[in-house]
Amino acid sequence: MNAVERTEVKQPRTNASPWAIARRKFLKNKLAMTSSAFLLIVIILSFLAPYITTVDISRVNVGYSGLPPSSENWLGTDTSGRDVFTRLLYGGRVSLTVGMSVTAIVIFIGTLIGSVAGYFGGFVDSVLMRFTDFILNFPFLIFVIVLNAILFNKVSGVWVLIATISVLSWGGIARIVRSKILAEKENEYILAAQSIGTPASKIIVKHLLPNVLSVIIVQATLTFAGMIIAEAGLSFLGFGVPQEVPSWGNMLSSANKSDVLQNKPWIWMPPATIITITILSINFIGEGLKDAFNPRSFK
Amino acid sequence: MTKQLDTVKEPKQETKDDVLVDIINLKKYYPVHAGFFKRKVGDVKAVDDISISLKRGETFGLVGESGCGKSTAGRTILRLTDVTEGKIIFDGNDITKLSGAKLRKFREKFQMVFQDPYASLNTKMMVGHIVDEPLRNFYKKSSKQLKPEVMALLNRVGLRESDYYKYPHEFSGGQRQRIGIARALALKPQLIIADEPVSALDVSIQSQVLNLLKELQDEFNLTYLFIAHDLSVVKHMSDRIGVMYLGNMVEVGDNEEIYKEPLHPYTQALISAIPEPDPTLKKERIVLQGDVPSPQNPPSGCVFHTRCPVAMPKCKEIVPQLKEVRPNHQVACLLYDED
Repeated sequence: MNAVERTEVKQPRTNASPWAIARRKFLKNKLAMTSSAFLLIVIILSFLAPYITTVDISRVNVGYSGLPPSSENWLGTDTSGRDVFTRLLYGGRVSLTVGMSVTAIVIFIGTLIGSVAGYFGGFVDSVLMRFTDFILNFPFLIFVIVLNAILFNKVSGVWVLIATISVLSWGGIARIVRSKILAEKENEYILAAQSIGTPASKIIVKHLLPNVLSVIIVQATLTFAGMIIAEAGLSFLGFGVPQEVPSWGNMLSSANKSDVLQNKPWIWMPPATIITITILSINFIGEGLKDAFNPRSFK
Repeated sequence: MTKQLDTVKEPKQETKDDVLVDIINLKKYYPVHAGFFKRKVGDVKAVDDISISLKRGETFGLVGESGCGKSTAGRTILRLTDVTEGKIIFDGNDITKLSGAKLRKFREKFQMVFQDPYASLNTKMMVGHIVDEPLRNFYKKSSKQLKPEVMALLNRVGLRESDYYKYPHEFSGGQRQRIGIARALALKPQLIIADEPVSALDVSIQSQVLNLLKELQDEFNLTYLFIAHDLSVVKHMSDRIGVMYLGNMVEVGDNEEIYKEPLHPYTQALISAIPEPDPTLKKERIVLQGDVPSPQNPPSGCVFHTRCPVAMPKCKEIVPQLKEVRPNHQVACLLYDED
């Protein structure tokens, strides 16, 4: 009895919901908080781009091409004479939109399929998981290239990219969520929920998902980082966002000329740097969240 | 407290004898699959042909050692798993084959108190919401509307109103079990199956929880199916007792009968194992040899013959049936089968 009381005193007593504890742990994590601040700044700058930049985004001026950084063009101009700083902010808009939308869709589909398969098990599980395997085994790059080619000019490019990447990327999340649900549903509180007449949909949403949410959130951050890289990679190869739309990947793709790569680092260094730092900070946030949700870590 | 109890005691007497739940030849087998093609190679006979009639307002104690199928029996009766064979008649309604929404409607009338107070509460939910969830399932009311009712319930099971806003990890085992009891009580059920409700608790807390269960029984006219392996707990709680061994019911009888004069050799061994608080009293202890056989491949004839101290040759062949040997005292043993 004494031991119980003593351990209870140690814990912070005020409003100690599991979420509050996780939040407190996260706020104490310096690396994660710095990363969050950085990411927030990047997001705000990108989405406020029209109000920050002074140079017209669509201005192409060959006469000004390849200029080094100056007071007028803070980060210089690219080979078509466009302002790199302006494009960097607008590009962030596209890259982050792609990353966030894909993450949202992927998490939604993955969680839905994974939790239904995990909770109901048996036949439902088999069917859904074989479908997931099918999706996972799809050749991602080829499919994206082909679909982009078919839908080119028919639908606005960015949304085609978001749709194709999303449809092909939820498999991993579905598997992770399913395995977590499989473990979680063996707990007696699920049996208790059944015994008080809670319908299956409510058991999944109200009981199971809150208990696997920490895993989903961590996966979401990692997916977000991965999807920014995927966008950059595809755009670099020329199969992502249409060339005329600025994105970090598109900006990087101009570095495939040796002249640019060797002599004009201001064209490709800014997008490369910002991609790297953004990905790093998202991953740090993910790690921080993982720690915060882990009841056994006391950092 | 006692004042309240006296006023509600009367109706219990007159309804004493009518049956609330009739469990007829209940069987629950878990199929065992093996090999590449997952062929069915056998069954684990967790519950093998048991029949119980639960009378309104009584406490029926179900005892037996670990793995004898008493928890499975409880869960099957509440239809938390499917029934392999047999029938469950609840208050005149056959609930054996119900599923989905129809079954859910019946859940209002029977509830369960679980063994592990740590695993049976969702740690991410506020206590108030844990307790009002059954009410929200059956009545279209919001948590806010139900708050006074839930607070009264918490009070009734010995918790404070401020506990409404707390989370399960802020409570001790005994308090958590009270939360579980409040949840089971919320819908004012007729039957509560208590699956070893105190076995995970400190001995000092056990009696508090048991007494709470007893008080609630009188107050709400509850019927209990009380599952336990602790014989002194069952003795304290039950009106009638059923002894299970390896999925079979070996003896059923009134509380005093069973403790005073156990008939089945297995029950005799169990009862001789109850610790005696008086050190000067020497009891003869019957120690059973060997382990419980696998329920996947139970012994032929009487399932107990492999460990029975008084087994006869015919025990290997003949399956004993539950027979009324004394008034209100049934036993399934060939020793009492001479005539």
